[in-house]
Amino acid sequence: MLALLSPPGGHSPNADDLNTLYWVMLVIGVILLIAINAALLAVIMRFRAERGRQPRRLVLRRPAQLGTAGAFALLAIVTFILGVVVTSDAKRIEATGADGLQGSAVLTAQRGLTPPATSTKSAPLEIRACGQQWIWRYEYPDGTYSYYELVVPVDTAIVLKLCSTDVVHRWWVPGLSGKFDATPGESNQTWFKADETGDFDGASYAFSGASYAVMRTRVHVVDVPTYQAWLEQQAAGIQEAQTFVQQANGETGG
Amino acid sequence: MSTNGRTLAPHRPELVTDGPAPRRPRWLEMVMSSDHKDVGRVYIGAALSFLVLGIVCFLLMRLQLAVPENDLIEPVTFNRLLSVGSATLIVLFALPFVFGLFTYIVPLQIGARSLAFPRLASLSLWLYLFGGALLYVSFVYTPPEGGFNSWPPLSDTVFISNNGIDVWITAVGLTVLGLVLLSINLAVTVAKLRAPGLAWRRLPTFSYSAAVSSWTMIIAGSAMVAALTMLEIDRHFNGVFFDPGEGGAPLYYQHLSWIFFTGCYLLFLLPAFGAISEILPVFSGKPLLSRRVLAISLTAIMPLGLLAWMQNMMTASIPIGFLYAAMLMSLLLVIPIGAIFVNLIGTLAGGVLRMRAPLIFSLAALSTLSFGLILELIQSVIPVNWLLADTTASTAASGYVLVGGAVLGGFAALYYWYPKITGRVMGEALGRSSATLIVLGAQVTFIPLFLAGVEGQQVDIFKFFEASDAVNSMSLNAYNLIATIGAFVLSIGVVLSIVNAYVSLKSGVPTGPDAWGGETLEWFATSPPPPHNFDVVPDVRSDEPLRDIREAVRRRDASRSTPSETREPVA
Repeated sequence: MLALLSPPGGHSPNADDLNTLYWVMLVIGVILLIAINAALLAVIMRFRAERGRQPRRLVLRRPAQLGTAGAFALLAIVTFILGVVVTSDAKRIEATGADGLQGSAVLTAQRGLTPPATSTKSAPLEIRACGQQWIWRYEYPDGTYSYYELVVPVDTAIVLKLCSTDVVHRWWVPGLSGKFDATPGESNQTWFKADETGDFDGASYAFSGASYAVMRTRVHVVDVPTYQAWLEQQAAGIQEAQTFVQQANGETGG
Repeated sequence: MSTNGRTLAPHRPELVTDGPAPRRPRWLEMVMSSDHKDVGRVYIGAALSFLVLGIVCFLLMRLQLAVPENDLIEPVTFNRLLSVGSATLIVLFALPFVFGLFTYIVPLQIGARSLAFPRLASLSLWLYLFGGALLYVSFVYTPPEGGFNSWPPLSDTVFISNNGIDVWITAVGLTVLGLVLLSINLAVTVAKLRAPGLAWRRLPTFSYSAAVSSWTMIIAGSAMVAALTMLEIDRHFNGVFFDPGEGGAPLYYQHLSWIFFTGCYLLFLLPAFGAISEILPVFSGKPLLSRRVLAISLTAIMPLGLLAWMQNMMTASIPIGFLYAAMLMSLLLVIPIGAIFVNLIGTLAGGVLRMRAPLIFSLAALSTLSFGLILELIQSVIPVNWLLADTTASTAASGYVLVGGAVLGGFAALYYWYPKITGRVMGEALGRSSATLIVLGAQVTFIPLFLAGVEGQQVDIFKFFEASDAVNSMSLNAYNLIATIGAFVLSIGVVLSIVNAYVSLKSGVPTGPDAWGGETLEWFATSPPPPHNFDVVPDVRSDEPLRDIREAVRRRDASRSTPSETREPVA
């Protein structure tokens, strides 16, 4: 039963925050739900019309009314504070872990330089995620790009800069983060730090027209050497394709 | 009885008597009439007809989503059903239904002889009928396909160049404009045309909720009419309101349309709470626990709810402070809504419950609403919203509120006031089975949808895929199939009540003016009421005017020592 109610397991610190608060709110909700429906049922069973009984007037005096309002107000305030604390916690970008792509290596990858003496160890890896009808395009720091599948190193803080080239899209990979909009003309971001290698499936969550349902995405989490190898291979592939296109254009005189 | 001319409502100039037979057909007579009872009846009838059409769209969509990667319906057709279906259920059914009930009942309940602006009510009705017809006529050429709120840039001509979006804008815009005008009408009616002695503190809760609902609609509806106008200017007159490249922003439209849809959400709740708090005292034989707390709570829901519109935009790029404010507003809603539940359950406790259809529907509405409102509460916290927003879990929450508030709450009101409207009582057995099927159907539909949403199924998709791992995939398939079955059960329940309403026009048990032993003024008029509502408008001395009248009659009879003629409920 609990397994049915549980959201996809968190594989990033912020996704864990989301799941924790989900459980807290669910418990509060279920308690309220049982209280209301049990009260309704009890009242129906107890007070059905029967011969000879007269209605008995019940009075809830002002202190009692204020008391119930106060209890609900307390619930609202407590959940609000909890919400603010967890939200700001989930928004805080954590440092890259020991197994992740280190800051120096990020810079190397970004600029093709030799690492400087003092490396910024915790710098997150910034990747642009651009939604377009109906696919996600990922742009890596070194200018490489990929469609549909985002390849990232494990245990590394990844900041996704969301953008859109046409209509509103909404990025979410369950287990890695929350949902965030990619709206044309607005900047928005999310982040995650995957704790293990593997594939995570996600999708677009904003209605975007005819083929909205097939606008899916996948995050492929690999270890750091594999990531770097993939990056080089992808760059080489793109280079090769561009050369081919240029040659083809040259031959046709275009 | 007071015949004090100062306090009487202005009398209707076109008083109809048993004169020559009308030259026009009956339906045309009703549509052209500016009598609030005719306007209300056509609003209610048309809303119920649109509900049937909306159910057809909804069932077709659920059939497509019954099994993974289904090819029953083309993607574009699905998007058209989605756009038309959601516009139908919200704008053409839920709002006109409750405003139709308000239009019929409120003037009777406050002892008025007409609405404040009778001809304006006709205009509202025509705008609604024209808008609704336009939306469905569009199936002949190009239906809209912009989703349930047609966001730009998707709804711009660059992405959807056909005229479907224009049809949607016109249909929704005209209907909402009509409802805004009707709301102004109702707000003024309640403020200005109350019977002598009917102070705000004595106002029946249904009329009170009519006033609050009207103000909600005036605010939310105006925002939507403005947004739709700007969208149309953007589409065809080189406007740049929502064009990010030219200094506009798609976010503006999202804000305005969410103000409207949040208002719609409140309008599923407020009229239902208003009607239920009329029905419970009558059927439990004891007054409301606290009329004052109920009125304050209904009033508080409106500003808090409307200010929480950004609760629907927590994934957008909005500074986090605004989102915290929206979260606070929607969490604070727990206070008035909780107070209403406490007071309604407290009204039942200690009473003698007559389990008739209006009470059964009210209880069903309260239970179903509790599910929807608590799912909303869970989602109003930002991190949980990031998890559940735009999944079928959020669909389930709104579905519960739509079914609990607009359908069950609206039907409770319909069953309760049907004897007043037609002079006949709606079939009891059909009513019971309808309520049972709706409650069960709603649970069987929305629990699986919630669970599928927790797993991450998107809202509004035209097909869903098998999940990558076997366990998830099996449960996802099962959820969708069960939800489809539940949708059919739910729909049969709804249609049963509509059939009941139609059949009872002819075959219902006839009843006198006061079918249930009510305490409010509408039961003073005959059923159905004459065109001028009341021969004499009574003075109101308490919040239960009809009880006072019965007492007076009893005293008079006793003093004349004639056989006692107490007014027992007829049905």
